[in-house]
Amino acid sequence: MLRLIRARLAMLVIVLFGVSVITFLMAHVLPGDPTAALAGPHPSQETLNSIRSQFGLDKPLPVQYFKYLSNLFHGNLGTSIRSQQPITQEILAFFPATLELVTVAFLLAIGIGIPLGVIAAVKKNTFSDYVIRLFAVGGVSIPLFWGGLVMILIFYAKLGWLPASGRLDIELSSPKTITGFYFIDALFGGDKETFINVLKHLVMPSLALGYVQLAFIVRQVRSSMLDALSQDYYLTGRANGLSHKFLVVRYALRNALIPSITIIGLSFGSLLGGAVVTETVFDWPGMGKYVTDSILGRDFPAIMGFTVVIALAYVIINLLVDLLVYSLDPQTRK
Amino acid sequence: MTQRLRARFSAVSVFAVVGALALGMIASGPANAAISKTTLVVGMSADLDYLDPAATMDNAQWKITYPCYQRLVEYNGASTDVVPGLASAWRISRDHLTYTFTIKSGQKFSDGTAVTAKAVQYTFERLLKVAKGPADNFTAIASVRANGLKTVVFVLNQVSPQFLYTLAGNYGGIVNPATASKAVNGDSGQAYLADHTAGSGAYVLTEWKKGQYLKLEQNKFYGGKKPVLETVLFKIVGDASSQRLQLGKGEIDIAEGITSDQYAAVAKEDGNTVINKPSLTVDIMYINSGKGNAALKNTLVRQAISYALDYQGIMAATQAGNATQMNGPIPDGMWGQDPKGFQYTTNVTKAKALLAQAGVTNLSLDLLYSARKSWWASEAQLIQDNLAKAGITVNLKLTEYATARKMIDAGTFDLCLGTWSPDYADPSMFMNFWFDSGNFGLAGNRSFYSNPAVDKLIRSAASITDQKKRTALYIQAQKIVVEEAAYGYLYQMNYRLALRTDVKGFVYNPMIEQIYNLETMYKA
Repeated sequence: MLRLIRARLAMLVIVLFGVSVITFLMAHVLPGDPTAALAGPHPSQETLNSIRSQFGLDKPLPVQYFKYLSNLFHGNLGTSIRSQQPITQEILAFFPATLELVTVAFLLAIGIGIPLGVIAAVKKNTFSDYVIRLFAVGGVSIPLFWGGLVMILIFYAKLGWLPASGRLDIELSSPKTITGFYFIDALFGGDKETFINVLKHLVMPSLALGYVQLAFIVRQVRSSMLDALSQDYYLTGRANGLSHKFLVVRYALRNALIPSITIIGLSFGSLLGGAVVTETVFDWPGMGKYVTDSILGRDFPAIMGFTVVIALAYVIINLLVDLLVYSLDPQTRK
Repeated sequence: MTQRLRARFSAVSVFAVVGALALGMIASGPANAAISKTTLVVGMSADLDYLDPAATMDNAQWKITYPCYQRLVEYNGASTDVVPGLASAWRISRDHLTYTFTIKSGQKFSDGTAVTAKAVQYTFERLLKVAKGPADNFTAIASVRANGLKTVVFVLNQVSPQFLYTLAGNYGGIVNPATASKAVNGDSGQAYLADHTAGSGAYVLTEWKKGQYLKLEQNKFYGGKKPVLETVLFKIVGDASSQRLQLGKGEIDIAEGITSDQYAAVAKEDGNTVINKPSLTVDIMYINSGKGNAALKNTLVRQAISYALDYQGIMAATQAGNATQMNGPIPDGMWGQDPKGFQYTTNVTKAKALLAQAGVTNLSLDLLYSARKSWWASEAQLIQDNLAKAGITVNLKLTEYATARKMIDAGTFDLCLGTWSPDYADPSMFMNFWFDSGNFGLAGNRSFYSNPAVDKLIRSAASITDQKKRTALYIQAQKIVVEEAAYGYLYQMNYRLALRTDVKGFVYNPMIEQIYNLETMYKA
């Protein structure tokens, strides 16, 4: 296992280097000037040149890149051109919100999706299977923004049960940061009102985002489970008098989960970088909106910082998935 | 129900029941708490970038900084005139090169220190050193010196008739010199002032939760009359529909993000009202006569384009009629406008005749625009349709804003949509920026228009202070640039704002659009 971790960490360095080179080149090749906002709507050429010089944008690309890399080695992701704030500080402000949303959505998706997938497979071609599959098709085919808006219309506008946007009511103070997850921080802080309020804000965005993942998981688990149930060991077990339930829980599910875990785990990484629609519909103050604005404003350091963090998250998730598979599948230990 | 049927339903229904119970438990009670009468909540569409008065050039950020800082002079209510602000009086030398201001007594920054002449000197020296967008408006300053505690003297390197007005802009906000100690790596405190305020205005920024809200609270050392509003929250609600819903429920008091097509419906809803006033923002079309299609060098072709445009149709479709057709470059409400200025009206026959006279056939032009303004896509399509009727093919070039800006600066387009609003109340903001041949590209002359006679007139107007003479010169220049159809003079937009009816005291000033007079606003 240690060898696996070492290999993955070595890969991390290579991945980060590759990602930084590619992102740097892509960001700088795009036409557009990140200093536009600072220069104002009708800047003189002198002002434009002065600002470009202040941010080192007048230097040759290799010089700019090696300066960036040198800062990166010192743990410095640079300064945002748009906000003039350290990128690390910006990411720390936005990333926990995304991570909280994605984690809750993901837990919901797994918690509901895996059992539904198993039920659908075990009760293949029955009424339950059809209902679950229909439910799953909805998740992959209903556009997220539309589903989100419908939820807002029902639960906020009509019923008035849930808030439409944000992480917390504006009149309430944010819980003291411990983990960056508001619901955990509010729980630790013992503030019941804030905790309930945070949960209310989490319900709609996490359900909207989780539904898409749930649908994906149901389909994946059902398919893997059906495959497992057609294997010889299952039929042999049945022939030897073992119960269907015992075989499903003890053997088939375990085997069905192995291919699912890899795919489901990686989809968590893609969610981290792709929750932008949910964040936009529910005004969730996460990384998605931040990076979209950064791309539109050509804020190179912010784009690079985001990419490096997401790449890092991907590699770590990949490692965790490998470790999980390693512990579940004896074949991988050989 | 049979046992078999129950079994079918049980697996699926257990999830539904558990989900519904959880949702019900969380959802019990109102979705949001009520807002107090001394708190104003403004819903805005996007988070802000930075708040340093020496760097920001965006009215969206100014809505935070303007009430947190004071300026030597201030706009007078809804008028574009300036009146004493932090300066109780000022004197202008006979040669108009020296401005001497006397600082009002009893004014204090939010940390309790007194506002002195030294602070004014620090502010402007810092602004010029930072050298961001605002510095372009103060190139006339040769020096600024404090003379004792209460007197500050500006010496200009050239006559600048607009100088007094530039001081009323957001960048004229006087910054606490104590922020010098916050400088990091010689940045003159830019990183600190990017997310803090340090002025002597009625409010101070006390919290900025990125992506969520900004909170202003009263500056307890404010030297003016204590405001009624104790707290002002600027809440980020990106989605226009959500803003509308939240306004309707009274969760926000002002909704800035209402889209053009929603205002009429919002105004009819109980408890809502919409302010609708003429602004000084104009929507125009750059006609690239310098670097665009060679045919555009011909005045007759530019005139043909101006006659082919259906101004009323464009205003109706893009602004629901809440706009006024321009009759020249200077909008109504700004002094110096030619009241008898010629206004192009739609005349396709004349447009065709002008093209024939110019000997131009099969003209094909690229129209550049971005998605920065929601109405530009439909405006571009209408223009394409209008010009097609005159026999001109228009190719729509929807381009991402940052790229479009680069193209505008380089002049790589034929036609392009743009908006323009003045930074200060002076017609030079239109005439000198748009038509001076030394100002090509983003700097202002985006049609790459060049006429030595116009250069002479507008440069003369910008170098004297007599308003009457300046008006006469600008009117002469306006006649030429309208006759020569240097731009497509489309329309002057209305400013619209949706708010709750219990929000009182808001005064709209077209020079400081999107900025609220929080000091005198209240909720009834």
